Amino acid sequence: MTRIPVRLAVLMVLMMVLAACGGSTETASSTSEDDPAAATAEDEPAGGDATEDEPAEDETADEPDDEPADPATGDAVQIRWFVGLGAGGQPEQIAAQEEVVEAFNANRDDIEIVLEVVENDVAYDTLSTQIAGGNVPDIIGPVGRDGSNSYAGLYLDLEPLIESTGYDLSRFPAETVENFREPDGSLPGIPFASYPSAIFFNTELFDEAGLPYPPQSYGPDGTATYGEGTEYEGTWDFDKVAEIAAILAVDAAGNDATNPDFDRSQTVQWGYLNQWTTLMFAQGTHFGAGSPLAEDGTADIPQAWEEEWTWYHDGIWNGGWAPSQEQFDSELLSGNPFASGNVAMANTHLWYTCCVRDDDGNGLDFWDLAVMPSHNGTVTAKMHADTFRIMAATEHPDEAFEVLTYLLDDSALELLNAYGAAPADPGLTDAFFADLDTVFPQGVNWQVALDGANFTDVPSHEQALPGWDEYKLAMADFESAQLSDPDLDMATAIAELEDELSGIFAANAE
Amino acid sequence: MSTTTSTRGGAADLVSAAPPPSPSPAGQPSSADPLHRRRGRIGLLFAAPWIVGFVLFYAAPMAASLWFSFTDFSLTSPDPIAFVGGDNWARLFTDQEVADSALVTLKFGLLSLPLTILVPLGFAWLLTAKNLWGRSMFRTLFYMPSVIPFVAAVLVFQGMLNSQTGWANRALGAVGVNGPNWLNSEAWIYPTLTLIALWGVGNAMIIFIAGFNSVPKDLYDAGEVDGASSWQQFRHITVPMISPVLFYNVVVALIGLFQYFLVPFVLKNGSGDPGGATFFYSMYFYRMLFRLQNMGYAATLAWLLFLVGLVVTGALFWSAKYWVHYEFGDQS
Repeated sequence: MTRIPVRLAVLMVLMMVLAACGGSTETASSTSEDDPAAATAEDEPAGGDATEDEPAEDETADEPDDEPADPATGDAVQIRWFVGLGAGGQPEQIAAQEEVVEAFNANRDDIEIVLEVVENDVAYDTLSTQIAGGNVPDIIGPVGRDGSNSYAGLYLDLEPLIESTGYDLSRFPAETVENFREPDGSLPGIPFASYPSAIFFNTELFDEAGLPYPPQSYGPDGTATYGEGTEYEGTWDFDKVAEIAAILAVDAAGNDATNPDFDRSQTVQWGYLNQWTTLMFAQGTHFGAGSPLAEDGTADIPQAWEEEWTWYHDGIWNGGWAPSQEQFDSELLSGNPFASGNVAMANTHLWYTCCVRDDDGNGLDFWDLAVMPSHNGTVTAKMHADTFRIMAATEHPDEAFEVLTYLLDDSALELLNAYGAAPADPGLTDAFFADLDTVFPQGVNWQVALDGANFTDVPSHEQALPGWDEYKLAMADFESAQLSDPDLDMATAIAELEDELSGIFAANAE
Repeated sequence: MSTTTSTRGGAADLVSAAPPPSPSPAGQPSSADPLHRRRGRIGLLFAAPWIVGFVLFYAAPMAASLWFSFTDFSLTSPDPIAFVGGDNWARLFTDQEVADSALVTLKFGLLSLPLTILVPLGFAWLLTAKNLWGRSMFRTLFYMPSVIPFVAAVLVFQGMLNSQTGWANRALGAVGVNGPNWLNSEAWIYPTLTLIALWGVGNAMIIFIAGFNSVPKDLYDAGEVDGASSWQQFRHITVPMISPVLFYNVVVALIGLFQYFLVPFVLKNGSGDPGGATFFYSMYFYRMLFRLQNMGYAATLAWLLFLVGLVVTGALFWSAKYWVHYEFGDQS
């Protein structure tokens, strides 16, 4: 009699264990490298800098996608391509990537690309785990500089391979290439997609205020002139931006910010803001490029950054033309300030074309591009750039470089179109902007953005620094204070920040 | 001969009806008895899935995290994990963020903990009143917020409490009151978080209602005969009789306080605004683990949280003998 319950018990235990194992396998596979269903590219529209609160390009992809392109064939060297840190997780992007992989694998017996798409939410954790476990992929990307910085020092210097293969970099603007160079002189990235910055301005709000539009061409020395022949004529610098932003900021009673009766707490329209590029190293660079890392390893915030931080804080809390964090979160601006139609000027990057759209994805027609203002006679149009990177731990650097150049050259247009990314190669830009013109038929002056590439920030505001993740968090905390604390003593706060950053740099110095 | 002296029916009857294990010479089931051993093995087999799960998903990760707390394990470092002795534990005592975030948790707890116990207790008392009309409807309405996903609710609160465009201040403004800066003032943020917490007290309320309903009516009848007022009945009959339920809710609320994360994270995205007032201990732990991927120190933070929770909960259990009344004797 007792054998029946024992057998029954064994059977039940087996069933439960099998059920448990089955469930966990399925769950794991949903985020594993082999079955990255529901991949997303939340941090960026097409790449770039995830930490600057750039927008999600789309929602989570729900369809299962990318089985590794092909099973291993013979003795082919497998090159693992890890996607998920930036763009590449949308269903249509995955399909394009699969096609690129299949095309390569179909023509090559010696190298096989293995595509691994991981959901953006867990991509960093997944890659970190792979690195910690010694299971490092050969190529990662597309990913912006900032996104790459968490793994600074783990990338292969491409310069020796560029030299040995004679790879042609001359087709890229020199500044764009240098933007990728690290302080130690290494070049771990080759330009693929570039996103220069510019001023997105609301033509309707300027018309309503009777103000001339901001300039759309850089002068010979880079500086531009605003409102030529009008009472507002003057150098297009950040003082001028503040002046006209105050006229464009309006409260609920219809008073603009130059009016003594203007009520900042009841603002319904703002003159200027940093759209999704609010981290302090990003916004500070509007006034000039620099590095907070001094030669002696301590932190020294560049003077230009300090001036911009003070200027913007003043614009929020005294000028009233820039929104505070709470106003940012309000229903008037929530989510996408410039696209709300309640902001006259937004300082951001070309990737923002992803999102100057209505809820149905249709392009909004009330805007155009203007050149970056100068500060003390210098123009800085900071750059975001996406690329693919080869991990230094790869066992097949030559083959990985071959795959990398295939992605950057042969497949560039297909991938750029899939990612919605602006080509770093000027020779490929016409097709890109022609496509954008169909979305924004008002006739946006795209040349403004292209010209901005001549004023790229060198060193890049996203240049890797010791303890990058801690550095970013410290900058994010400072940003929170700037946007939330009207009484912030900027000089004291900067001194405290420098102390904190010095500690971070020292703790993470090699 | 039966090992049970009384039965209440149901499962107890089945147990008493089963053949008893062979008694040892001392009258107790013997481990040497084959039937007893066989039953033990069957029991273990049935418990095996849970045991396996416990070992794999609780015990082993806890042991691993304890080990990590003595290492410099970082996910972003390709270097091998190195043993660092008690460095991470020593860092706890010099890390200002630990003290600051613990203080934030304490300050919030001082306000929210009593209220998240007393308010559902009050609701339960009202909803068990003799003459309450539409009792079921009110219970449903009071409980309803608890079935709404909390993240969605917090996002709604975020819009509602925006000092410029939220309808809370608009409503106050309509009656001439200048609404506070609910979410961005250090003075108002804890009352605001407590308000949001009180919105979801339905579960505690339901448990209190069950506690109220379990108090024997004859005790109240006796109290009335003795001339006890309503307050005296509540103080001397209801509270002692529901003290185990009260104890349970206090323990749950306390552990919830230690783990408090979701609301400030959704509201402030982990920034700690305003002025660090929402940088709770769990937020610091999250930052260390997921933002900085410093697994060694994050594991140490987790163990500190566990140990503090263990001590405080232990103290609560110790204190229970002074204020928790079990009708059928000591339940510890």
